[in-house]
Formats: sequence, C-alpha cells, structure tokens
Amino acid sequence: MFDQFLYGTEAAINGLMTGVMYSLVALGFVLIFKSSGIFNYAQGVMALFGALTLVGIQDGQVPFASLINAVFGTNVRDFGWTLPAMLSILLAIGVMILFAWLVERYLLKHLVNQDPIILFMATIGLAYFMEGIGDLMWGAEIKTLDLGINQGINTTIDSLTYDWFGYGFYIDNLDITAAIIAILLVVALTLFSQYSSTGRALRAVADDHQAALSVGISLRKIWVIVWGISGFIALVAGVMWGSKSGVQFSLSLITLKALPVLMLGGFTSIPGAIIGGMIIGVGEKVFEFVVSSSWFGDAMGFTMNATENWFAYMLALVFLVFRPQGLFGDKIIERV
Amino acid sequence: MSESYVTPDGRTIGGKVLEMRNITLRFGGVVAIKDISFDIREGEIRAIIGPNGAGKSSMLNVINGFYHPQDGEIWFHGEKRKPMKPYQIAKQGIARTFQNIALFKGMSTLDNIMTGRFNQMKTNMALQMIWKGPAEREEQENREIVEKVIDFLEIQAIRKTPVGALPYGLQKRVELGRALAAQPRLLLLDEPMAGMNVEEKEDMSRFILDVNDEFGTTIALIEHDMGVVMDISDRVVVMDYGKKIGDGSPDEVRNNQAVIDAYLGVDHG
Amino acid sequence: MVSKRNILPEGLDTFPKLLARNAKQWANVPAYREKEFGIWQSWTWSQVAEEVDALAMGYLALGLNEGDYVAIIGRNRPYLYWAMLAAQAAGAIPVPLYQDANAEEMAYVLEHCGARFIVAEDQEQVDKVLEIQDGLPAVEQIIYYDKRGMRKYEHTHLNAYEHVQAEGRAGNQRLAPVLAERQAKLGEDSTCVMLYTSGTTGKPKGVVLSNTNIIASAKASAEFDHLNAGDSVLAYLPMAWVGDFIFSIGQSCWTGFCVACPESPETMQADLREIGPSYFFAPPRFFEGLLTNVMIRIEDASPLKKRLFHKFMAHAKKVGPDLLDGKPVSFIDRLKYRIGDFLIYGPLKNTLGLSKVRVGYTAGEAIGPEIFEFYRSLGINLKQLYGQTEASVFITQQPDGQVRADTVGVPSPGVELKIADNGEVFYRSPGVFVEYYKNAESTADTKDAEGWVATGDAGFIEESSGHLRIIDRAKDVGKMADGGMFAPKFVENKLKFFPNILEAVVFGDGRETCTAFINIDLNAVANWAERNNVAYGSYQELAGHKQVYDTIQSHIEEVNKSVALDPMLSGCQVHRFLVLHKELDPDDGEMTRTRKVRRKIVGEKFNDLVDALYSDATKVSTETEVTYEDGRKGAIKATLELRDVAVVPVVKEVAA
Repeated sequence: MFDQFLYGTEAAINGLMTGVMYSLVALGFVLIFKSSGIFNYAQGVMALFGALTLVGIQDGQVPFASLINAVFGTNVRDFGWTLPAMLSILLAIGVMILFAWLVERYLLKHLVNQDPIILFMATIGLAYFMEGIGDLMWGAEIKTLDLGINQGINTTIDSLTYDWFGYGFYIDNLDITAAIIAILLVVALTLFSQYSSTGRALRAVADDHQAALSVGISLRKIWVIVWGISGFIALVAGVMWGSKSGVQFSLSLITLKALPVLMLGGFTSIPGAIIGGMIIGVGEKVFEFVVSSSWFGDAMGFTMNATENWFAYMLALVFLVFRPQGLFGDKIIERV
Repeated sequence: MSESYVTPDGRTIGGKVLEMRNITLRFGGVVAIKDISFDIREGEIRAIIGPNGAGKSSMLNVINGFYHPQDGEIWFHGEKRKPMKPYQIAKQGIARTFQNIALFKGMSTLDNIMTGRFNQMKTNMALQMIWKGPAEREEQENREIVEKVIDFLEIQAIRKTPVGALPYGLQKRVELGRALAAQPRLLLLDEPMAGMNVEEKEDMSRFILDVNDEFGTTIALIEHDMGVVMDISDRVVVMDYGKKIGDGSPDEVRNNQAVIDAYLGVDHG
Repeated sequence: MVSKRNILPEGLDTFPKLLARNAKQWANVPAYREKEFGIWQSWTWSQVAEEVDALAMGYLALGLNEGDYVAIIGRNRPYLYWAMLAAQAAGAIPVPLYQDANAEEMAYVLEHCGARFIVAEDQEQVDKVLEIQDGLPAVEQIIYYDKRGMRKYEHTHLNAYEHVQAEGRAGNQRLAPVLAERQAKLGEDSTCVMLYTSGTTGKPKGVVLSNTNIIASAKASAEFDHLNAGDSVLAYLPMAWVGDFIFSIGQSCWTGFCVACPESPETMQADLREIGPSYFFAPPRFFEGLLTNVMIRIEDASPLKKRLFHKFMAHAKKVGPDLLDGKPVSFIDRLKYRIGDFLIYGPLKNTLGLSKVRVGYTAGEAIGPEIFEFYRSLGINLKQLYGQTEASVFITQQPDGQVRADTVGVPSPGVELKIADNGEVFYRSPGVFVEYYKNAESTADTKDAEGWVATGDAGFIEESSGHLRIIDRAKDVGKMADGGMFAPKFVENKLKFFPNILEAVVFGDGRETCTAFINIDLNAVANWAERNNVAYGSYQELAGHKQVYDTIQSHIEEVNKSVALDPMLSGCQVHRFLVLHKELDPDDGEMTRTRKVRRKIVGEKFNDLVDALYSDATKVSTETEVTYEDGRKGAIKATLELRDVAVVPVVKEVAA
C-alpha cells in the first residue's frame, strides 16, 4: 500500500510541474484579458512563434528561406553560424516586443471601441496568420531546442528519495527548471504590478479605461507593454514546452489546455491562473494514476486510461455550472 | 480687463488661461454646443451652469479632449491647441473629475491618487524593473506629494481602503485628490457636489476654496446648487440648449433676465 | 528656594533637569514619535532637548515672564508636549486645554488663569481664540504650529512655531543665560502644570500641581510597574487630562520611554496596531467598544470561525486570567492555551493593537466584570486604577496578580487612605495638589489642614485583600424612601455592560422605586437591525422601536436579578424605564468632556420625562433642545414609550 502512496506522490509532484507550465500559458491570457478585455486566441501560437524564432535565430536559419528559394530559385538554408543561447534569447524577446507593437498598431488601434466578440475574432485571425508566417519564416519541421538546460532525471532527488523511501522519484530536471522560472516570473510580475508606476498604470487600465485616459495614461502605450509582456511569457512557455518535446506545430494546442485553467482560476486573476494551473496539473496526473491503478480496478471492476485527455475539461465543466467566475475571478454582476 | 487684478479677499486673478472661441460641437444631427465663446482667467473659480442637457458636460469634455469640436478654436495659455489626445491634454496640465466618479474601483485610495502623478513620473520601464536607484527615488518623491494631498483632504484613515468600498462622499473626495495630485494648471470639476448632504457640501466647498487659495489653481466647475455657485465662484457662464445666455459675475448673472427665464426662476416667497 | 520636604532627589526635581539628564543618558533613544504623511517620524531625547530649548528661548524673545501661564490647545502632537516643557524651562506654567472645547468653555479657562501666551495647534484652534479675544485682555501672543490656512492672518501677535524656535536659536547667546537663571530658581515646590478639572458640577477649577506632585507620582507608579526606557505608549487621550500629562510627560521624562502620537483621531486604531505600545491606558468605554466590535465581527464570520472562536475563548476565560496571575495551571490546559494563542488570541490581540501590552490600565468608572475577564483571558495585563486630577492621578492601583473587576486596588506607593463615617474616601500623598487656583474656599473644602483630600466618592476597604471598593459618588449615594442605600452607578454599570446599552441614568434618591433613562449604542443596535432586517430612518426611530425596547427590557430584568442579590443595594432595582430619543452629549452639557454623565443636569433638563416615569403613563411627548457642532441650537420632538420591568422580590431582613 505504501508504495502505491509513493507512486501517487510522484505523480502528484510531476503534476505540479506540469501545472506550473499550464499556469504560464494561462498567465499570458489573463494579462491581456485583464487590461483590454480581449480573449487572445493567438496566445498559444505566440508561444510557438516565439520558440520557432528562438530556434531559428540560434541555428542561424535564414528567415523566409522557402519563400526566397521559391521566388529566386536559390537554395539557401542557413547563414552558417549559430548564436549563443543568451544572445538568441535576447533577440527573440526583441522580436516578440516588435510583434506586440505591430499588433497594437495594425490591429488593436483600429478596433478600439468594438464589441469584445469582434476583437476575439480578430485574434483568431491573428492566430492563423501567425501560424502561416511561422511556417513560412522558419519551416515546419520539428526542431530541437537546446538552450543548455539540463534534461533527464534529476539524480539528486532520485537518490534521496530512494534512500528515504526505498523508491526513487522520477522528476525531470527540465520540469524543475521550468517551475522555478515560472515562479520567479510570477513573483516579478506581481511585484512589478503592485509597486511600480507602470504597474500601477497597468492595473488602472485593467480597471477602467475612461478613468485611465482622463489621468493621462496612454492606452495604446499600455497595450503595447501588456502584449509585450504576454509575448515574453509566451516565449518562455514555448521554450519550456519546446525543450521538452521539440518545437513543433502542435505546440499551439497548448491554448486548448489553458482554457480549463482559466475557467478554474478566473479570467482576470493572476493568482487564479497559477492555482488553477496547479490544480489541473496535479488533478490530471493523480486522477489518471488512481483510476488506472490495480486496486481501483479491483474495487470498481474497471480501469480507465488516457484520462489525461479529458479530465481537465470535465473539471472545467463542473466549475462552469457551479462557479462560472472561477475561484478568483470577479463575480459577473450585471448592474442595472 | 485682461490684466490681472486683485479680488476683495486678496486673491490675484491673472490673464486668460483658457479661451474657447466659437466652439461648435455636433453629434450627428444634434448640436450640443452652438458657437460658444468664453474664457477662464488664471486663479479664478469659473462656474458653468445651466439646465440639464444644456451641454455643460460636453463643454468640459471638449476642454478635456474627449470630444473634438467641429468648429472653433481652443487657446490654452496663449497658444492655439492642435487636435490632441486626452492623455496629451492631461500632460499639458488639465485635470478633471467626473460626474459619476471615474475612480479605479479595485485599487486603494493611495494607489488611485498615485495614478494622478503618472504624467510626472519619468523613469522608464527598464529602470522600474530594476527598482533600486532612480525608480525608487522617484516613487518616494511622488509618494510624498501624494501624502500631502491626502493630508490636505483629511483622508488618512482610508489610505489603504479599496475605493469601491467607500461611501459616495469620500469617493468624490478621493477623485478630487487624484486630480490635485497632478498639480494641474486648470482643474475641471464636473458637479463635485452632486448627491451630497449639506455638511458634505460645506466640506467640499471648503476644499475647493482652499485649493484655489493655497495653490492658486484655476478651477472650472459645473454645479447645480445655486447657493454654492453664488458663494464660491468669481465668474459664471450660463448655458442653455447649447448656447451661451449669460456670462459675468454671479450677481450680474443672477439678475440677467434671460438666465432667470431659462433656469433660475423668480423668488415666489 | 529651599524646600522643606525634599521628597525628590536634588538633581531630578524639575522637568528641565530631567530633560537634561535624558538628553545625556538616553541621547539616542526615541522619545517622541508622530505619524505624519504616512510615515513615523521620531525624535530622540537629545533632539527633543534641543527643540525645547529653542522654543523656550523663543518664548523669552517674545517676552514671556516667570510665573506666566501658557495655554496649550490642540490634539496630541510632540510639538505641543514640547511647548509645555519649554514653558517650564522658561519658568512659566503650562495650562493645556481640551481641543474640542467650544469658544465659551475656552474663554472661561483662559480668562481665569490669565494666560498671556497661547500655543495653538492649527487654524481651527487659532480661530476659536480670535473669536473670544475681546474678552481676554491678558492674551498677548498666539503661537500656532500648522501653517495651513494661516497665510492671510495678521501676524502682529501671531507667530508660527517654527519662527519662534528660529528666533530662539538666533538669540542663543543672550537668552541661554536667562534661561539657566530662571531654571535655577525652580525646585520641587515650583508649579509644574495647571490642569482644569472637567467639573461634573459647576465651573471648571484650576488644579495647581507642583513638581513634587507630578514627579513623585510618576516615580512611584513607574517603580510599581517596572516601567523603563524600553517601553512605549500611544498618546491619544486629551492633553488637558491629568492622565495624559502623567503618562506622556511625567512618566516618560522620568523613565525615558517613548511617546507616539497618532496621525489623526480616525486612524488611532490603525496607529495603535503599528506602534504596539507596551504600556497602555484607555477609559472603560474604549475597551467596551473594542469588545463590542469584536463580537459584532465574529457574528459576521463563517460558522467554522465562529465555533473556533467561542470554543477557544471559553477556554481562555477559564485559564487565561490564572496564567496571567501566575497561578498554577495544568499542563494540558497550558497546551490548549498555547494552541489557542496561535490560532485565536495572538491574531486577535494583533488586530486590536494590544499584543505587546505589558501593563494596561483603565479607570474612571467601574468596568463590567465580564469585559475585564475578556481582556485578561487573552493575556493582556489589564488592571484598574483609581485616581483624580487632585491626586496627580494615582490613589489606588491593582498590583500584578491581584486583579479583580470589583475593586480598584491597593493604595499606590506613598498614598494613605482613610474612610470617613459617611463612607467618603479620603487620601493623602506626595501627589496631592497644591491648591485650586484663585479659589481658596474650594481648596479648603477639599483639602483639610493635615493634607487629607476628600475624593467625593463613597467606598470601603475590603478586609481580606486590602483593596478599596468604590460604590458611587458620595453625593449621589442617597437613600431610597424606605431608608435603603441608593447607589445609581452600581446599577448603571451593570446595565452598560450590555453592548446594546451605551449609557444609563438611574433615578431614585428619596423615591420609592428606581427608574432609568437608557441610551442605546447605535453601533451595536444598528448592526442587529441590519441582520434582522429592521428598517429605520434615524437614531430616534431606532431608539423607539418596539423590538429594541423588548431587548432593553430583558437586559434590565437580568440586571434586576443581579442587583437583588446585593445585600446593601437590593432596593435599587429598576421598575420603569424609557429609551432616550437622543444620545447624551457633552456639547449639550449633559456629559463632561470625559463623558461622565452630569446627573443633576440631566435630571433637570428632562424633568418632564422623570415625572412621567414616576407616574402611570405609558407614553410621554417631549421636545428637547440640542446644540450642533458649530454651536447652533435646534430642537427634537419625540414621543417616548414608558415601560414597566419585572422586579425580583427581596426578602428584607428586619433592620437591626
């Protein structure tokens, strides 16, 4: 029995790590939704695009290589150099900020007073557009992302737990790094929004656009900042997932996984995104572990497998029925 | 009368701060403001009065930059104003309060008033992320200014309270505080006394007079309470159906027949 | 001037000397703190000494003479405490006034003491002085601290505090010797301060207190409670009250502890939490109010929290006071208390701001026993003291470990007590005042040739413990028509224990039965109304509500049962009552500034209501004059219900 407990704990810890990654993705959504009321369908694609760009820069790829080849009949692929990880990251961040600026200038500015649904559709368009550009710029093969982050089983924990419990926990180094980075990011974000003047302006815009305008806050500038930060978060998320399973186009499906997180944690709450992510992450893994285990089979007469695919959504459904604003979101009150 | 003069109670009224020339504002077929001209002089308290729907709030919105008049010119401190965004106008030194209170309901009183300092806070985002050094210093300097405003308005006790939880009268005071924190050259108050009882009105009047007296801030206010208007304003503009029907000292306006017919009515007692 | 008694050590018998010692011995220890613009500013003893000297020399530059009276008006601010110390340093006498006194009350005091200098906090106080200036020919200089709004005033006799200090510093060369000379003439018998009593009857009297009075009391009480330089207090009670003078100047200068002044009256609770004083005094009303608030908030909490709270509070009541008194407690109980401390008592004390209180006192009126137990059970060492302005506060105090709700303690060090035949309590001590200023008759009435002072209270000394028990004001203790003792305070205090009852006035002297006026506590009753969906439009409406009356009636009946058990006072049960349509208010003259009910005045003002209570009427209509904060007068009309209350029959022993 005890070893079942141990396996379960291992599953839970792994779930926590995954959960942190989910949170990271959800965070990007929350930021944008909170400050402009837009649900950014393109968030997942931004993660993908960010990761693609990073790999491309690092490997010295020529952007739009296939297009250039098709038009000019050349056969270029790389510049022939590889850039160090740090530099590539900085350049990639620069690209995301440029992207944020472009989105604001050519998309948001023109749709300022429209219905939220129109803005949502615009982001759907943006998502497809970015996927296409990503493909065109960097090519659709699966790329490996190597930023020098440790991967593979963390031997310290393995041996420690083996000594203590007689069973070595398998926890991936990458997951640990990702979790730490995610936590640092969240803490930095929270401190920034609470204590700095720009952070205050961000909160102000999230609260009331009209009032923010009257105080002299430039909405457009704030939106660029918000999309920039979201882009940065997306980049980090893309990098983490990409390191784990390679940079491929299915990365953009993260968007789907973020939805249950948002429904649990509320669309407008940063702590909600974090806690929601962790609940989903742990919940998924533990649930799977329990319902596929032998004693569950003995007790119930059947086991279930691959429940990870649908558990999160079931949970989200339950929440939608009983608490639509999520654990931390603002209660939706229609004022007459 | 374009040179400065001194009022009976010792305040100096200077030259023109704001001049509205032939302003016309249309919303589709509706003419909200029809060819109105008036000015506001430095250091004075200018009241804008008139029945509901006369276009007073629209006038304030024009001054503020939320609406752009189809015709007419706005001269601010002797310079003609180019078409500008509201936040640029705020940077020029015009602050305002709103009839229905436009505070950031989820943020505390202190944070709300700190946002009033936004235009004066110059450190860029990168410096702010590092925090130590210029950004922290700037935050402390601005905090001190904001604390002085809090002290002035006697709202220390609600410093950390989220503004949404405050009673109406205090919210109005916080909004005034936020406008004051910007150290504006021109303060626009849209019905600052709306919904207040006698005691609250007295408090608010006292604050407005104190602001004008101590800091010399020029104030334009829209107000319906005639008692207040007559008491505290230096000059009055009267609007009705988008047109200006009176302009002068409170006494002059009170005895103006057109104004009486449209708005004030006569004493039946 | 050689003093005959030499009670105080030679080098420490005046405040200038104490200040000088502190500036050397505790040069860098914070002496005064104030929260201004959101942050706590502090001054060390050496800084304070410098500021006080500068101001004292500034006084000299403005022409302050020895023996002059300097009036101080404002709320607790370090600058005003220094103004008092500076007056003493210049050989003058400070006279603090109540900051919320109206112009009339101020005029009387200022005229009576003939103050030449006035130090006012801000524009509001200055305006009040200017209003009555015509009747005060003696006033020559007004010094104000807060410059806001003062720009337009004519400054011939008006000066800013800062400027006066600047003048003082500039004239250092020639003024310092003058200062030293004046200080050399001061000794333990020199007048330290003059405080006007609030006077429950008649006009305020100026109590002259010498250095001996203040310093000896401060020294004795500081030793009694082991106060030292590491302690801290929050100064929020009126500066004109003797207690604040003893704590914030007397004891602080003697021991070197730190005095913190809150940012504004509204933020007092928050500031209390931030400072976390170790030595705290508050009138019983404060503690009652705090308890009421806690109870109200608990009612609104989630069921789990409520259950935990009540469970642990019950345990605390059982074990806490004993723990505090050092009595033996079982290990299990201690453990439970520890857990409770972690979960409930600790956070609660923290919210109240009382976590660090090592010694807490209350005084003024007898406090309901359950309230006492509440605080002690939480581990707050709340004790009672009994005192008067004329005694430099301390007459009796409760020592640690001997704290009970129904006594006021043992005589303070240096105090002798005796009980007269009529039950009035007399005392004698080094703290006994010198005289009432310009009122030899009153002085002779109160203080006899051997120095015994009549307290005006009736009481007796409990044999078993040596503690004094106070029954009531001596002149209020009366007799009922059948000869039984009538002590209204006894019943009123029991009534006021209920959170719903803010104030009660019991009548019955010379009558057959007792009746009562009740003031409801708006806070508590409004909360109840909200939770029970009772609508009301005004205080008056709520006060007249049938359900409110029912609740009050049940409270009175409970009290009657308790009163019936007292051997001496069982005749004081309340037979009929009414709920007043307005709160008793100092502004209307119905209470003193320290919120003590003026019984006679209330009885006279509402005599129609009293008559109605002693008739069979069930209703009475009345009109009452009220005074608004700015002095205007208005009138309130009301129809009040009169109710009978169940009384417990007492089997009276045949009088011996």
